[in-house]
Amino acid sequence: MMQPLENGISRRGLFKVSAGLLAGVTGLAALPKKLLAAPVEGKLATLIDLSLCDGCADRLQPACVTSCKQTKNPTIPQVVDPIPSPFPTNIIEDWSKNQEVANRLTPYNRIFVQKAQVTVNRQEKTISIPRRCMHCDNPACATICPFSANTKDVNGAVVIDQELCFGGAKCKTVCPWQIPQRQSGVGLYLKVAKNFMGNGVMYKCDLCIDRLKEGKSPACMEACPKKAMIIGPRDQIIAEAEKRAAAMGGQIFGKKENGGTSTIYVSPVSFKELEQKLTPASDDPKNGQPMLKPDVKRKMAESDGLGKAVIAAPAIGLVAGLVGAFVKISERKTQNAGKENQ
Amino acid sequence: MSSGSTSDKLVQRHNLIVMFEHWGIALSGIVLLMSGIFQMPSAARYKITAIPGFWWSGEFFVTLKLHYIASVVFVGLILFHLVYHLLLKEWSMVPQRGDVSESVKVLKTFITNEPEPPFGKYLPEQRLAYVAIAVPVLLLVVSGLIKTWKNLYAPDMDRTLLLWATWVHNVGFILFFMAFLGHIGALLIKPNRPMVRGMLTGKVSREYAEHRHPLWIQELEEKKE
Repeated sequence: MMQPLENGISRRGLFKVSAGLLAGVTGLAALPKKLLAAPVEGKLATLIDLSLCDGCADRLQPACVTSCKQTKNPTIPQVVDPIPSPFPTNIIEDWSKNQEVANRLTPYNRIFVQKAQVTVNRQEKTISIPRRCMHCDNPACATICPFSANTKDVNGAVVIDQELCFGGAKCKTVCPWQIPQRQSGVGLYLKVAKNFMGNGVMYKCDLCIDRLKEGKSPACMEACPKKAMIIGPRDQIIAEAEKRAAAMGGQIFGKKENGGTSTIYVSPVSFKELEQKLTPASDDPKNGQPMLKPDVKRKMAESDGLGKAVIAAPAIGLVAGLVGAFVKISERKTQNAGKENQ
Repeated sequence: MSSGSTSDKLVQRHNLIVMFEHWGIALSGIVLLMSGIFQMPSAARYKITAIPGFWWSGEFFVTLKLHYIASVVFVGLILFHLVYHLLLKEWSMVPQRGDVSESVKVLKTFITNEPEPPFGKYLPEQRLAYVAIAVPVLLLVVSGLIKTWKNLYAPDMDRTLLLWATWVHNVGFILFFMAFLGHIGALLIKPNRPMVRGMLTGKVSREYAEHRHPLWIQELEEKKE
């Protein structure tokens, strides 16, 4: 008989964690080499194996975080001083003086590692969860960006162009995890109507798209000492994730969330349990510490039916115009015939 | 683009189909302008969401649905308008040679109070205004369809095409908004006001028509005979 649940985790849970670690390590060894290399073409996906990530317990800061900061932060332009005050809110988001912050998402920290303390048979177990943009399959953040500053690449990466972004934060509002983070005092808005339109630039993980195009892995993955994150052809990554999840009796996150994403987490512990014990985590988008709720629905799907009606509208109008015109022409002919008969 | 029957006091200026097209495009166009503005991150910033009854203005998924609903009506009617009048060979709104110089003369009469030249069914500036509205409308329809296709089926659409569609849509929005304001502004000019009744009821007074559009009345009388 199973041990009674303690904090939601059973002895079987402990077994899963251990099995997960084992499966992760053996899975890594058995992984085809092409998955570890960064292909430059086709649809890509990334796999984050939570049975392998230990949050770099032996370091001051996880290697992925350090590497991301080193690679990306120099690309952010110098922030103007003073930063214009946006009318009428006067809310400025300036992270340039706190670039070292690593326990949440910021423009200068596009990946961070959340922890979940799970207790199994009175034993504390820490699961480390690298968090960043999920690079969704049909991301609302990109599709309804009013300036198309945020776009989805054919390789699956969702990328914000800091030369085009006005920092309106619509992308953050529509993201189920509120991932993009704003830096005020930089970007195009400074040259247009800085006090009345825009408020900076939104920043988030771009999957190191420039490195991908050079045939390199994203900086975080290259730096990961445990090889807990890998990138490869989408189909192979999903197959690999499913294989690992089956081997560890674990779960997958990201395959169907928000309509599907290009980031697949594999965990020996259920994501429902992980979400309940996330630290730090907050429902408040201001905190840059996203939740991990499974089965998040793609909100924009609610309007897809109407979108299809828009696509059909020209055909409907055209047919109605044809029918209307032929009816009218027939009426005219009848009237003319009547006049001639008189 | 329609002609109608005459009576002692009233002359039919527009038939039901034209009125349906006009008001359908006008109302859906207003909803499109409004929901389009609310697709910008503006409503929450400028506290429009705090106005009673306007909570939805900051909800991007709600305003997107509104934008889609209005687009179905707008795009459908634009296509109907083009096909229907093209097949019926109704060209009276299409600009004619000399319309620009004639429009300048008419505009001068508004200031100098000199008598206007005799008009046909439409004023030369009405024909020019038709083009001024039609161009942004066509830009908006084509770019809007591309953007909708991207939302549904191609989130990773070619970036160059997407940027073109986005900026054509944004510029089209500004032009359409200006054309809309110009259209409303034209109706505030005293000599044009009887035409409001024409678009609301389909009919204008015979007195107005004979005074301002004698060439049109003459055409109607000739047809009658």
